[in-house]
Amino acid sequence: MIPGISNNDSIKTTSHKVVVPFYIYAAFSLLISCVMLLLSSSNFLGHYFQPKILAITHMMALGWGTMMILGASHQLVPVLIEGKLHSEKLAHASFYLGAIGVPLMVYSFYFWDMGHPAKWGGRFILLSILCYIINLNKSIKHSKSKNNIHAIFILTSVIWLFITAFLGLALVYNFTFKLFNHDSIYYLPLHVHAGIIGWFLMLIIGVGSRLIPMFLISKYENKSLLKWIYFLINGSLISYIILFYISNKPLYAYLSWILLFIGIIMFVYYCIQAYKDRIRKKVDEQMKISILAIFMILVPILLLFICISTISLLSKEYISLSLSYGFLILFGWITAIILGMTFKTLPFIIWKKVYTQNAFASKTPSPKDLFNNQVFILMSIVYLLGLIAFVIGILTKDINLINIGAILLIFTSILYVFNVIKVIFHKAKTS
Amino acid sequence: MNIITNNQNQIDKAIIALKEVLDPEIGLNIVDLGLVYEINFFEDKKRLECIMTLTTQFCPMGETITENTKSALEKLFLGYEILVTLTFDPAWNYSLISEEGRAFLGK
Repeated sequence: MIPGISNNDSIKTTSHKVVVPFYIYAAFSLLISCVMLLLSSSNFLGHYFQPKILAITHMMALGWGTMMILGASHQLVPVLIEGKLHSEKLAHASFYLGAIGVPLMVYSFYFWDMGHPAKWGGRFILLSILCYIINLNKSIKHSKSKNNIHAIFILTSVIWLFITAFLGLALVYNFTFKLFNHDSIYYLPLHVHAGIIGWFLMLIIGVGSRLIPMFLISKYENKSLLKWIYFLINGSLISYIILFYISNKPLYAYLSWILLFIGIIMFVYYCIQAYKDRIRKKVDEQMKISILAIFMILVPILLLFICISTISLLSKEYISLSLSYGFLILFGWITAIILGMTFKTLPFIIWKKVYTQNAFASKTPSPKDLFNNQVFILMSIVYLLGLIAFVIGILTKDINLINIGAILLIFTSILYVFNVIKVIFHKAKTS
Repeated sequence: MNIITNNQNQIDKAIIALKEVLDPEIGLNIVDLGLVYEINFFEDKKRLECIMTLTTQFCPMGETITENTKSALEKLFLGYEILVTLTFDPAWNYSLISEEGRAFLGK
């Protein structure tokens, strides 16, 4: 007879009460960011270092991307590390601290007040991240697989997030106290790339490398490839920081870019292999947009190469290229992944809450029935059109295209919020 | 599909019941998915023990699947005490999916 465990506590996952507030907060952050895009559209014809664009960037990076990822990861970390979440109280603390910090930060950028609102915003966000790091670290310590490559990716990514936020707060202080030799804009690339590569990219690879094969029911597994990707991407970021410190010559950035590019190509290869080896042939729309997002990273990475080339070879920064790069990262790559993954996670969390006790009592809808798939498909089409219009608008400095793009993205966010609310407020339907 | 049992006469009945329990994400029943390892009947104690696994230990749907398994067996084996026990040794892997399961997923 096979030995087993009859106690359901051993498989208890994180409560929906922890996760759902993050999803709601993130959904409305996306909507507000898109409205801010339209209200500040003319700013996208100028330099990126200006109040409105910084406010939108932080609303997207923190309110949308980070809050959503933190929420989902409280649910997914147990799957990835094969252990329970250490503390739901710390998860709540992380949410509330972040929820207070983000609007303070966005307000201070929008109205350019680098005094108390910016500093307190930064402090709250740092504390929020600290709560998450403690929670994650303790969860991993108590899990069965401490050296799990996915857990290492996630823990490293959160450490990079802390470094990003810490540097961000230091840059805020630098406006009033002169902490550094140069002004804050000089150090901005460090802050930006620690966030994009260290936090978002590392986390997406760590989570994606587990979830993509899992959702596709793929036999593909390649831990040694993931280790290479881990070292290449961290190597890219660390080399960039060291070279920036030694001598901030744009030419040196090629070395870091090559390491990053190889790492990303390897991850794309990993996803292609997982897709090829899948047992589940039918791929739903949510997975399609998530897989598309993996490939979308190649566009900003190639733009980054062009940016480095123009700066190092022509000694000139083309602002519209840099703006497009940042826009494609936040509104393109990160947003596309979240738009898809929201509906691969949230309906299951809510379905479990509503139907666990009576799922078998009578015929119940499946988790996929909790949102409107037609609305999802429409959202995906409008989103891609909006994204393309906005980027072409930035590159050609065409305000009309920028405005059309912003309106389409507002429409996208309304459709997204509609489906999120539809899922969250789902009531039990049995027949 | 090799489910261990101590009662060949009753196992088919139990399998029919368990084929009604679906993994909500995949849409495939837990028998063809290969989650059910062992079903034993203890007629003297009026007890049925089902030993099963999950695709991953902290599967977000794990609690739902085990609850549904219990409900499905309770409906069919009235008066029996149903005990659903989880094991992760051996861990689930893709080779446990039945031919029918593969055909369903390959559609």
